[in-house]
Amino acid sequence: MTLKALLGAAAALSMTAGLAQAQEKTLTISVYSFAQDEFNEILYKPFEEKCGCKVVVETGNSVERLAKMEANKTNPVIDMAVMSMADSLSAARQDLIDTIDTSRLTNYDKLYDIAKDPNGDGKSVGYTFYSTSIVYRTDKMEIESWGDLLKDDIAPHVAFPNVTTNQGPPALYMLGKAMGSDSPDLTAPIDAVAEKADDIVTFYVRSSQLVQLMQQEEILAAPIGRFAWAPFAKLDLPLAWATPKEGQTGGMNVMVVTKGSKNRDLALEFMDFWLSTDIQTKLAEAMVDSPANKDVKVSEEVANNITFGEDTAKSLKLLPSEVILDHRDQWLAEWNAKVGQ
Amino acid sequence: MFQNRTEALALALPAALFAAIVFLVPVAILLSEGFRTADGWSIQAYIDFFSMPLNQKVFLRTLRLGLTVTFVAAIIGYAAAYAIVTLPPSSKGKMIGLVVLPLMISPVARTYAWIVILGRTGIVNQALMTVGLTDGPVRFLFTETAVFIGLLQLFLPLMIISLISALENLPRDAVPAARVLGANWFQVFWKVLLPLTREGLVIGGTLVFTGSLTAYITPAILGGSKVLMLETLLYQQVTVANNFVSASIIALILILMSFAANILLRRIASARNSK
Repeated sequence: MTLKALLGAAAALSMTAGLAQAQEKTLTISVYSFAQDEFNEILYKPFEEKCGCKVVVETGNSVERLAKMEANKTNPVIDMAVMSMADSLSAARQDLIDTIDTSRLTNYDKLYDIAKDPNGDGKSVGYTFYSTSIVYRTDKMEIESWGDLLKDDIAPHVAFPNVTTNQGPPALYMLGKAMGSDSPDLTAPIDAVAEKADDIVTFYVRSSQLVQLMQQEEILAAPIGRFAWAPFAKLDLPLAWATPKEGQTGGMNVMVVTKGSKNRDLALEFMDFWLSTDIQTKLAEAMVDSPANKDVKVSEEVANNITFGEDTAKSLKLLPSEVILDHRDQWLAEWNAKVGQ
Repeated sequence: MFQNRTEALALALPAALFAAIVFLVPVAILLSEGFRTADGWSIQAYIDFFSMPLNQKVFLRTLRLGLTVTFVAAIIGYAAAYAIVTLPPSSKGKMIGLVVLPLMISPVARTYAWIVILGRTGIVNQALMTVGLTDGPVRFLFTETAVFIGLLQLFLPLMIISLISALENLPRDAVPAARVLGANWFQVFWKVLLPLTREGLVIGGTLVFTGSLTAYITPAILGGSKVLMLETLLYQQVTVANNFVSASIIALILILMSFAANILLRRIASARNSK
């Protein structure tokens, strides 16, 4: 009897919940899990008010996101997602994402050229990018080239990004450039790092770990993404952002729409909102994401802490997505065999 | 208590079914991944796995660290447990509380504390330099030594607690009796204490060894990718390489190593007992 009553109540509840959902439009997005409080204030809530809909946010890393999209391929749950350039090409190859109708994005023309169609397949739009260079102690060393990282007196004070991180391959690529090799197989720079593997303090996986290591002088230099720079700047140590002669590398994150999504219009509306000058400015001022919208103006202090400006955008030497995708397994195997031991 | 076996089994059935459906079946599916190939079942994936030098190295390192941590924990644990058991009841409670205290702190916080302690400017290096043992700071972080220290601190309480409960069950007169009969302290330990507390040692040893094999945070933070262990390699294989076959192989190796350790320790204990 009690069980019956319970079941009845549960059924009634789920019915009302279903009704409530049916009345309200819902947009499901899948994003990186960082700075969600800021995103909620700046992006999700204002959008919900504007569209009269509900934004359901799923977070996780790229592998989880792609696995979930693959699992729900026939009946997509996620309407739009953000990911790295390389992952979006991977999603495109698995036929998980669709061509983006950019005529529906009123802010599209305001984007820097590198953000417009980064993979050249019309299936992604960049919303933020970052430079990758070397943070270092100016009182202990001078860094003028990526090659300086492997010098005998510098290597024992370096944390180098692991090849498994987003910073790893670009940093190796720049190291290769410094050695005179432009080859995407990265064999030359991996060999060079392997030779110094015992000296190098660690091959880091999370840049958040580096702040503490820098503070206790465990390391004096490390290649990092600009998004991780702010906490270093606050350290009260003589730290600088290197401008190596080979240039800076970096990465870009892009928006994609899921193939077969039932809320395509809403997803495009949301993407356009995210790319608008107003929202991109607010996200930049909160130092959450560097803007891909070239109309964004920020104070000098903010600009110094993010990746900002047309010149920076043009000068970044990004590894092409297909190079990353086609070589990722080989890089890892080679790294594990030579450096990982 | 029950009128018949059927009734007892019927009562246990829901829990058993639940465990089977949400635990055993998924684990079986996960582990079968390592044996499944396009043309049927095969152990080729295992042969490939173990033929890679990195995997051999990581496997041996994990085994070596697990064994040394267990061995050292047993030695320190015995001394500590014996000292605690002989204390008067009020201080005994306090000491047990102190031993258990680290277990209540998040492993992440504990491990980060080691980064400060073992760092170039940390207390260990300062002490070494003050005493004059070294001229410059020694590198501890991101070495096997750091992982060993972290794991030992993490799991030593489990060994001490297991040994305390074993020593508490020891007949009060056993040690004095052996002494009266002329045994020296080594003989007391080897012929009286050890056989009578073997259960505690088996439980503590299994907990410490299994814990050391499967710990993730400690090797990840204190060892990093320069000191890969099976658990950190598993994580890398899943999240980066998307290689679920390798991951499933590592998972099975870890399970088998844990079982093997328990069986082996039990064997050793019962073999000593039958003498």
